Order: sequence, then C-alpha cells, then structure tokens
Amino acid sequence: MTKSRDEHNPGRRKFLKGVGIAGAGAAIADHLRVETEAQEKQGATATLSGNVKITLDVNGAARDVQVEPRTTLLNALRNHLEPAVTGPKLVCDAGTCGACTVLLDGKPAYSCLVLAVDAVNRKITTVEGLGSPESPNAVQAAFVEHDALMCGFCTPGFVTTISAYLEKNPNPSLDEVREACKGNFCRCGTYPRVFEAALAAAKSTAG
Amino acid sequence: MQQPQAQRSPSPKPKKKIRVPRVVNGVEQMVEIEVDADAGPGWGPNDKHTLLNHRYTRVDGPLKVAGMARYTYDQRLPGMLYARILRCPHAHARVTSMDTDAASKIPGVKAIIPAPLSELRFAGAPVAAVAATTPEIAGDAVRAIKVNYEVLPHVVHAAAAIRPDAPKVLAEEDNLKEAAKNGDPQKAEAAFATADAIVEGEYISQRVHHACLETHGMVVDYRGGDTATLYASTQGTFTIAGDAAKELGLTETAVTVSVEHMGGGFGSKFGLGLEGLLACRLSKQTSTPVKLMFTRYDEFVMAGNRSGSWQKLKAGVKKDGTIVALNARQYRLGGLGPGSQAGQPYIYRMGDTYREIYALHTNEDSSIAMRAPGHPQASFAVESLMDELAYKIKMDPVEFRKKNLRDEVYHRQLERAAQEIGWARRNPIAGGNAGPLKRGMGCAVGVWGGGGNNQCKVDVTISRDGSVVVAVGTQDLGTGTRTYTRAIVAEELGLTVKDVKERIGNSKLGAANPSGGSTTAASLSPSVKDAAIKARVMMAERVAPLLGNPKPEEVVFSGGNVSANGKSLSWKQATASLPAAGMTSHGEWRADLQSRGIHGACFAEVEVDVETGHVKPIKMVHIQDGGLPLNRLTMESQINGGMIQSLGMALWEGRVMDAHLGMMLNPGFGDYKLPGSLEMPELVPLIDDDDKREAVIGIAEGCIIPAVGALVNAVFNACGVRVRELPVTPDKILMGLSKGTQITQI
Repeated sequence: MTKSRDEHNPGRRKFLKGVGIAGAGAAIADHLRVETEAQEKQGATATLSGNVKITLDVNGAARDVQVEPRTTLLNALRNHLEPAVTGPKLVCDAGTCGACTVLLDGKPAYSCLVLAVDAVNRKITTVEGLGSPESPNAVQAAFVEHDALMCGFCTPGFVTTISAYLEKNPNPSLDEVREACKGNFCRCGTYPRVFEAALAAAKSTAG
Repeated sequence: MQQPQAQRSPSPKPKKKIRVPRVVNGVEQMVEIEVDADAGPGWGPNDKHTLLNHRYTRVDGPLKVAGMARYTYDQRLPGMLYARILRCPHAHARVTSMDTDAASKIPGVKAIIPAPLSELRFAGAPVAAVAATTPEIAGDAVRAIKVNYEVLPHVVHAAAAIRPDAPKVLAEEDNLKEAAKNGDPQKAEAAFATADAIVEGEYISQRVHHACLETHGMVVDYRGGDTATLYASTQGTFTIAGDAAKELGLTETAVTVSVEHMGGGFGSKFGLGLEGLLACRLSKQTSTPVKLMFTRYDEFVMAGNRSGSWQKLKAGVKKDGTIVALNARQYRLGGLGPGSQAGQPYIYRMGDTYREIYALHTNEDSSIAMRAPGHPQASFAVESLMDELAYKIKMDPVEFRKKNLRDEVYHRQLERAAQEIGWARRNPIAGGNAGPLKRGMGCAVGVWGGGGNNQCKVDVTISRDGSVVVAVGTQDLGTGTRTYTRAIVAEELGLTVKDVKERIGNSKLGAANPSGGSTTAASLSPSVKDAAIKARVMMAERVAPLLGNPKPEEVVFSGGNVSANGKSLSWKQATASLPAAGMTSHGEWRADLQSRGIHGACFAEVEVDVETGHVKPIKMVHIQDGGLPLNRLTMESQINGGMIQSLGMALWEGRVMDAHLGMMLNPGFGDYKLPGSLEMPELVPLIDDDDKREAVIGIAEGCIIPAVGALVNAVFNACGVRVRELPVTPDKILMGLSKGTQITQI
C-alpha cells in the first residue's frame, strides 16, 4: 500500500493538511516516533505515510484509532473513532467558522486545523464531554433556556467556546462575551440569545 | 350484512373553494382547492391558550446543545464510502477528454463516475465524482483526474451580458429575456407631468449565499438489495424518494428518506439534486453506502444563491406626498436560471405604474429560492426610492410611507416600531449630526403570504401507559416544528410538552409539505390540531363511563387530569382504560385553522464613521404579525434571524466574480463576510399582538424582507450618502462622501 501511494506521491505532499500548520511537522514526527507502524518500515525520517496507530484521550477515555498522518483531529473524531464523536461539526474545514471547536488541554481549538497525530498526549474535550442532554453544564442549560439555537449546527462550537471562556472569566461583560465567540459563526441568527445564554450561565455558576 | 342505505351514507358535507399556496422548489404558486365549509372547533382566542402563544423551550434543544442531535452529516454507516466532486475551473467549457487511470489506481478509490452534464456553463460545474474509503483519499483522486477542456467564451457580469455582442450564456435562450410587462407606459408618462418632484435611480442587489452551515448532501444507504435509505439534509422529506428510486432502480416505496435534524436550508434544499443523483449512482455502482456532503467550496459554487437584481426606477411625487407615477425596468440576475424578483412598486400605491421585468443570464450557477425569494431585492429598491422621494419633498419618511400605504396594519406597526427605536431622536437632515461618527435611522415595511395547504397527515397515538406520540413526516429546519407539534397536542390533551413525544423527518410517516414559502406552520399545525381534537374526543368517549357518561365536549382535559361531573381521573388512570393496542387518531388539514397575509416593519439605527466609511449597526427593531404565535420564544428567534441575515445582505455579504476568469473569488468564510458576534447591534423582535386572527400563519420569510431597506436608509440619514448598490461597503460610502453623488456601478 505504501509503495503504491508513493508512486502517486500523495504521501509527503499530503503529510500536512495546510501550509499554515507546516511548522508543527517536526513535533508531530517526534512524538510519533515510538507509535507509528509506518515509522518502523521507513526508518528515522520525518516523512510519515500509510496509517498510524494513535491513542487519543477523548472526554476522559483512551481511544485507539488508525489514521493517515494528514487526518485532522476533526475527521479522526467523526470518521475514524468507533463509535464516532460527531458533536464537533465540519462546516468550513478551514479554521474560519468555529463549528468544530474542541478543547485541547482546556483551551479552545479548531479541530479542523489540528492534526489527529498532534493531539496525542493532549486532553481532548468535545461538547459531549461538557454535559449530556440529561445533565447539561450551565452553558448548555442556558442555551436551551434562552433559545440560543435554531438549526443547532453551530451550537456545539459556541457551547464549547463559551464553556471554556467562563472557566477563564466567570463574570464577563456583554462585550467580553462577544469577543470570546467572535471565532464562531451562526447563520440562523442566534447571536443575541447566545450572548444572553452566556451571561445567564455565568450568573448561574457565580452563585 | 345488510344495512339500511339511508343510515350508512353520510350526508355530503358542504364545501367551499379557496386559494392556497403550493411550493415548488421553495417558490410558492397559488392553486385552488375545495375544503369543508363547516370544519369544527377552532383555536379559540389567542390570549386563552395554556401553551401556544407562550414561551416554551425547544424540545430538541437538550440534544443539540450536547452534540447528540444526529444530522445527515453525522451519519456513519458500516463500510461507508466518502464522495468528492471534481469541478470545472472554466465558466464555459466542454470536456474533450478525461483520464481517470491514475486516480482509479489510488488505494481506497472505489468508483469514479462522470457527471451528467455535457456542456459546462459555470465555473464549478461538476465534471466527475469519486467515492473512496476516506474523504482525504477521495480528494486525492479528484486531483489526480486529468481533464482536457475546450474553453468557450463566457460572461459573468450583468452589464456585460446585456450587450448585443456578449457571449451567449444559454443555448436555447438569449441572455436577455422579457418575463413580464404590466401597466400602460403612456399613462405613466403622462402622470409624471403632474408630479412636483421626480427621482430616478438604479438599484443593484448582489448575489447572496444561503451559507447553510450543514452543506448540501446525502448519505445513500444502498447495499445491493431491494431497499434503500437516504439520509438527506433537506427541506422536503417527501421530495427525494421518487428521483432516488429511479437512480437506484428501485420502486419509490422501497426508498426511505430520513431527515432527523438538519443544519439550515433557507430555501436551498429541495429534491434529490445533482449531489443526490451522484451519491445514488456511486452507491448503486459499489453496492455500498455513500456519503456525499458538499465541501464549503462546493456549497458556494453550486448550492445556489439569492438572485441578484438590477432595477431602474423612476417615480414622481406631489408635494403633499402622493406618488403619482412609477416606471420600473427590473432585471433578474439569476445566472443560468430565471432569477426572482417581486414586481414594483412592491407594496406601495404609486398611481400610474408601468414595469418591465427581464431575466438577464450570466455564466453563473442558477440562483434558487432563498428566504422570501425576490422580496428583499424589490423591497431594498423601492424602500430606497421611497426614502429618496421623502427627502426630495422634505417629508418625514414614516409619514410618507403611511401616506402611500392603504393597509392600516402598516400604520400601527410603523408607529409602534418608530416609538421603540426612538424615531423622535432622528435628525431629519441627512448627515446633519456633528462629528465624524454620525448616527442615522431608517425604516421599511414588508409583506408575505405564509398560508398553508392540505398536504399534512398527522397521527396521534395514545398508549395504555399514558404515553402520547404525534407522528408526521415533516422536517424541522431549526424553525421549531418539532416543538410546536408537541405543544399543540399537549395543550389539547391538558398535558405538558414533556408528556408528548414527536416522530418526524421520515418519509414512511404521514405526508407533509416541503418547508418553503413559510408554508409549514400553516400546513402542519391545522393537521396536528385536527388529530389532537379527534384524540381528545376519542379519549372522552372512552372514559365517559368512568365519569358519569358526560358528552365528549363536557369532559375537561387540564393539568394532567381528565374530569367531568365533579369526577376526575389522572391521565394515567384515564389511559389505563384504553385497549392494549392503544388508540390512534388521524388528522387532516383544515383551512379555517390557518390564514395568510402578514405584515412587518423594520427600523434601523446605524453609526457611520465618515473618516473610514465604516458602518456600525446600533439597533434594529422588527415588528411582525402572524395570527396565532405558536411559540413566542422561537418566533422571536426567527425575527432576530431575519434581521441578522438582512444585516449581512445590506452591509457585508456578496459573491465577487472575476470577469476574466469567470470564477467566484470568495468561495469561503474567510472572504465571504457573514454577520458575526462583534457586529451585532441591539436587536428588538416584536410580535404584533394587535393581530387578533385566531389562525396560524408562517412568518419566517416576512421577517427578512424590510430590514435591508431600513439599514440602507439609516446609512443615508447618518451620512448623506445614498448607496444604491449592495452591500454598503466603506469604499462606496467614502466615494459618495468625496463626490457627493449617488453610487451605482454595475
């Protein structure tokens, strides 16, 4: 398989998904040195191809998965984990909309801009890890209460972003909430209620 | 068994004929149907409901906020393949050869098929589709397909396409095609002579994209057997199976369509579509489930857009504010398609009017229905014109509108919204406020139908354990359909929203209309109500012996109890009397439970930085009537959504086409500017409770129409620059400020 792929040479070209994250290459190669099957066959080079076996820490569970090195964390969660984790949504695949937001070690990140192999040894929290329909966190509960969603496709991203922000700033102003979710797009037009929900969630956890 | 004839045949019910909308591809057409004249109990007064016309939260909210709602894009089936589409880079071309050899040898590639188009007439037209084990590998294969094109002449800008020597866009039709002529041009011309002032302007609205966050697409689950299931992101659960069955070689009944949750449509998602067709063919060829979801690029170049418009308007007005004449020449800019645009003078009385409407084609993908097709375009132009006329005769824009609107509903809405935004604070002199940050206000009004049709069949099933399920195949686009469907049944049976469960989004359930033209609420809720009333009567008859044999209408269903004659049963006690199989009622549409014809008025306040041209929206107010509000909470959300989408159209959004390359230059959210959190003004959604109609009417489209005009007029009031071409970007404002002239380019 590796040989055949090399003939068409997509392996190296597609090793990294985009130019903007090329700098991450060396670090990824480092921590994969012990983990990749491909590595053993190819010797100690930075070029990885074929499938690599990695373990991701998703919502507190160790999840084994095999992915091509170029696979984004988002696609690994959605297309490769079994069962799938589909809370984070694929909307733009270009780091512009925020629908795929997850927490990496507690900090929001666009999972479409992170390679799965670069998320190894990091704590990945998706919207599913923040609460459940039966036991929502304060932000999730406030989103329902204030109707901060319509079609709901942007909602996991907003909920994740705001949940992380309130950890950092438990008592934000309206302008701070706007600033916090400027990296998330909604098309149905729920922004005013997203703001209300965020402020209400902050209030509910403050007391 | 012998039965006396006279007792068996029901006396024929008296009928009456009414006109109702029927939606085809998101656009409503009026048809005549026959309905029962005597229909049964109604909704009752709007202020007497226990759930409806109140605020209650979305029933799918908990699932959606936890990431547990399963959308089409979230479907993942065993062995499923992922499809990608190869797209033509030229605005007009023919494929002369295609070499898929290298692509098909990539491990993981399972099928490559050509797209069913011979001549490609826009950049982005599909050429081939690939199915592979991962989307990444499918992308490799798309890039490895070698295509030779015969490149043909193209034209993508309206001003160029209208020239006699322009490249011909369509084989069968000239670039410019007359669609309609109305009125008497001589009479209009004569009326202009009686005017005290005349305004003439060209108004241009851009191509705006739906930008649904869930892209178009389907998962076709066909594994070589006799049946198939399609998971589709669609506004029409029942618009897909027929065409899918043809592609799969199955009978229509063998195909099930599922739409559990969907991530936005706004008019763009009906039918199988080319994406569904390709997905079916790939699945058929591989006997494997195939997921074909558009990429964001695909979505921008092929999933449709709002028709652009180019409107040349001339109106004459008397000093007292009476408009005496209008001459309108309207071009619908629909790319390969016919485009859409409401006829001028839209909703105003303008004396003697004459209009010509044309379709003007370009080498761009066809525009398709988008939330109130053709209306925001017409509204933007006529509301700009109204504003210009008002300034010309120095009349207050609100008073000027009232003068030329016969319908009293607009008068009260204009007054209410003016008060809410503080119209009295407005400086009547455009650009008259001091300093570089200048505030201004504008207003506009809109109209929509929102009536329903007899397309929904609803079942309400009550089980012996007390559970209640309302089932119908309709879809919830984020409009709250699931939620009010439950609430109507719960209210009728005296239960809470939590006591009822709904089953929707499946073509094997009762028929439902496609969600276009704001027809869903008025089509669905009468059928739900009818089923709920019948369920209540059936329950009342069932428990009558336990309650001293009251008549069905004497049994009270309230607070989770069923009571009559001073006796009361809990809901569970009541349902325990049901047979083992429970009980199901069937609801049909009733014309008397819905209506059509809604009004809205929007006011906007903006701040223009006359040093940078930057426009900051400060506050928007939209007042909307809609008969009986099914849920005030979700209705307000929809009104907000209308204002926010209008903000995008007015100030930021727009497809940018390169004349030479013939391609879209901004097919992504990095370059196509959607409204974001930082730009949000204060938004005030008002429900017009002076509308006492005890009938359900759809409002989604009504609340996107007037805001664009209100915003553009607010910009003029703020800085004195009349921008007649959308979006109102800083360059246009600065150009206007420097030249002191109206800005129109095409």
